[in-house]
Amino acid sequence: MADFHKPKHVDAVIPLKHLADLKVRVVAGSTLADLQCKALPPFSMEAVAFLTAWSKRLLSRQDVRDLPDVASFGFWCRPANLARLHRQLNLEPLRIGRGVALHIAPSNVPVNFAFSYAIGLLAGTVNIVRVPESLPVQAYLLCEIAKDLLAQSEHALIASMNTLISYTRNDTVTQSLSAVADVRLLWGGDQTVQHLRHMSASPRCIDIAFADRYSLCLLSAPAVLTAHKKALRDLTVGFYNDAFLLDQNACSSPHLILWQGTEEEVEAAQERFWDAMQALLMTKAQLPGIHAIEKFNHLCRSAIKIRGCKASPTRDNRIFRVSLDEVPENIADNRGRYGFFFETIDNDLAKLRRIVNMRYQTLTCFGVDPHVLAQQVISSRLAGIDRVVPVGQALDIGVIWDGYDLIRTMSRIVATQ
Amino acid sequence: MSTLQNYINAFTSTFLVEESDLANLKYQDIAAWDSVGHMSLMAALEEIFGIEMDIDDIIDFSSFEAGKKIMLKYNVKMD
Repeated sequence: MADFHKPKHVDAVIPLKHLADLKVRVVAGSTLADLQCKALPPFSMEAVAFLTAWSKRLLSRQDVRDLPDVASFGFWCRPANLARLHRQLNLEPLRIGRGVALHIAPSNVPVNFAFSYAIGLLAGTVNIVRVPESLPVQAYLLCEIAKDLLAQSEHALIASMNTLISYTRNDTVTQSLSAVADVRLLWGGDQTVQHLRHMSASPRCIDIAFADRYSLCLLSAPAVLTAHKKALRDLTVGFYNDAFLLDQNACSSPHLILWQGTEEEVEAAQERFWDAMQALLMTKAQLPGIHAIEKFNHLCRSAIKIRGCKASPTRDNRIFRVSLDEVPENIADNRGRYGFFFETIDNDLAKLRRIVNMRYQTLTCFGVDPHVLAQQVISSRLAGIDRVVPVGQALDIGVIWDGYDLIRTMSRIVATQ
Repeated sequence: MSTLQNYINAFTSTFLVEESDLANLKYQDIAAWDSVGHMSLMAALEEIFGIEMDIDDIIDFSSFEAGKKIMLKYNVKMD
């Protein structure tokens, strides 16, 4: 076979010297040219020590008080949780990271790059992480601390095989990085992911693509009606975190609510639930006018596009609700933001079965056992829904995400038989 | 240092409060013990006592006193 057709894929142990001229800014860790491309086994002591230090620094800072997503990341990578994850995964002993992982993180979820990176560290890959160019405060803080830790001698090994970089969107740069990647974690909208996928990578490169996803919520009306005060409070706080914290921009934020119960129960439960949501929202930041307008526009668009769409009264524009008797199959194309929800009653989940496709990601639930629902996803042979979790956990990124076992996918087994 | 003193220190160092204020301290009584402060406290307790707390226990950990009972589940006894 003619060698000149092969992409320029350097030997994994030789530093990526040819990348020295790429115009990127190193935010933390090694420069591209000095990156040591030797992987580690999953959950290596070095990676765990670095994540532990990152967690500790984040959780001890006063300014993290106002950044619950950063705090959640810090809490997630605390040693006790890493030990638990490691145990639960029950990995085959002879595993090692799959060479170089390129992480193209999205900008809609500020802490996403940190989770992507942390999962790479746990898998044992060498990591090139592209962080958004204009860093939101959360990402800035995470990067500053990572930079500081990676400069310490005790994290020298991790620093030598990891780099967090930023650059103005530039296909030449992404293309050069892509060419040396053994794993690409591509986060973004469908178009971005398609675009990135067209860039050539090493022949054995594995793509883990996190494209546009759609998520929904299932609420049991009797459970909402009988919930005592604290349970109702937890439900609303959980729903707030799932839906409102990131303005419904996250892939796992719910857009459609399926209710279970009789019509009377659902009506009463809706009143109780949305009244409590309203009360909670009143304690939060004021709604920007532009969001109210966007929701009203979306309501008008929905009224034109969707047959039988009935708007429930809104009190002060914080919550927009549209009730549907029938859910159109393309409801996922009609997602609202900033607190805009479609609602329907679906006792036997027939509506859900009709609309689900591969884009469906997270089903959050209250008053219904997630395991039973997950079993129904399989027994109904649904094309989508990768995750069924209680309300409040929609945004909790895990090592199993979008249906991928990330640690296993990003590492390889050395077989002995 | 006694187990109780370690337990007390986790609170005083996380929330920057005086030991004398702890007896009746409950979740969300003070600004420092909000949901983010709660995460810091749980991480501190896990580290000090070398334990992994279940999510249910983390949620149920509602006061200085209630926490002592939860710690018992992990064989952390306050004498």
